[in-house]
Amino acid sequence: MQEFILLMIGAALVNNVVLVRFLGLCSFMGVTTKIDTAVGMGMATTFVMTVSSILAWAIEVFLLAPFGLGYLRTITFILVIAAVVQFTEMVIRKVSPSLFQTLGIYLPLITTNCAVLGIPLLNVQSKHNFIESMLYGFASAFGYSLILVIFAGLRERIALNEVPRLFGGPPIGFVTASLLALAFMGFSGISAN
Amino acid sequence: MDGHLVEGVARVVATDGDTVWLEPEQGEACEGCLSASSCGVKSGGSSRRLMARRFSMVNSFQGQVGDRVVFGISERSLLRASALAYALPLLLMVGGAMAGQLLTGSDADAAIASVLGLVGGLLIARFRAGHLDAKGELSPHFLRYAYGPGPSDHCDQE
Repeated sequence: MQEFILLMIGAALVNNVVLVRFLGLCSFMGVTTKIDTAVGMGMATTFVMTVSSILAWAIEVFLLAPFGLGYLRTITFILVIAAVVQFTEMVIRKVSPSLFQTLGIYLPLITTNCAVLGIPLLNVQSKHNFIESMLYGFASAFGYSLILVIFAGLRERIALNEVPRLFGGPPIGFVTASLLALAFMGFSGISAN
Repeated sequence: MDGHLVEGVARVVATDGDTVWLEPEQGEACEGCLSASSCGVKSGGSSRRLMARRFSMVNSFQGQVGDRVVFGISERSLLRASALAYALPLLLMVGGAMAGQLLTGSDADAAIASVLGLVGGLLIARFRAGHLDAKGELSPHFLRYAYGPGPSDHCDQE
């Protein structure tokens, strides 16, 4: 149990997918203008990332590794992610058309989020088993959502303040993101101890 | 938090008695997003996607085809919908897998338990979403008419 908790803390905070691995920066800058948008996008990404991690593990273990098809890994995982996004869209629409109308906008954006591809590839690299792959995907996605919400809160506050014209818009966003990344470097002390 | 609304702009595409059908407009920022092609904003899939996201409202505002309106949904409803659609099935899936792994120590059992958790979560989500829908919590509300040209009113589109 302890190893699972450490794996999840490591994935969510110490090796944060956005601020340490620099994956998923496009959606990080794109959907963090409002907190509610960030929460919606974060939850959708968490769902897709976790399910993709599980399916990618199954494909790696039962198909790619036994038949020596490792060179097809990236393209296969891209197809898996696209299929999971499409499946999620279909399921949400079937479960509740109202939910789909409310939340459907975030789903297509996930397909091109490189963090969703990066996590299954990191799972393969780390030789994780089923439960480790799932928890690593879940915790990484949780870390991604956490950063999205924190950053959206900061940007909402920045929008209320006067920023020098030269730094207005994305530049002050990147400066803020760099300070946030420095703050998250503090978590690397956990792994040192 | 209850009073805060998430706003969007939609165009009336059909009327049917007391009901109007609306298609949401893509925000201007969508055009510049690197993921725009996957949404269909920059491709021919745009109209198909918008049609899939068509929704209805009670025509309390005497809307006509072509009118642009601002609609709103409360932040609380949006958060509740997100939790219901994604968080609940996901947590049950992860919980099921953890229970399967800790009880039997087998990957296969953990995988089966996770699938059962996911299906159970989706069934609960369906039930709860129906409940919220019946109370009208997931429905957008008319706020005001939107004035000025919309994204589809420009004639210099690619």
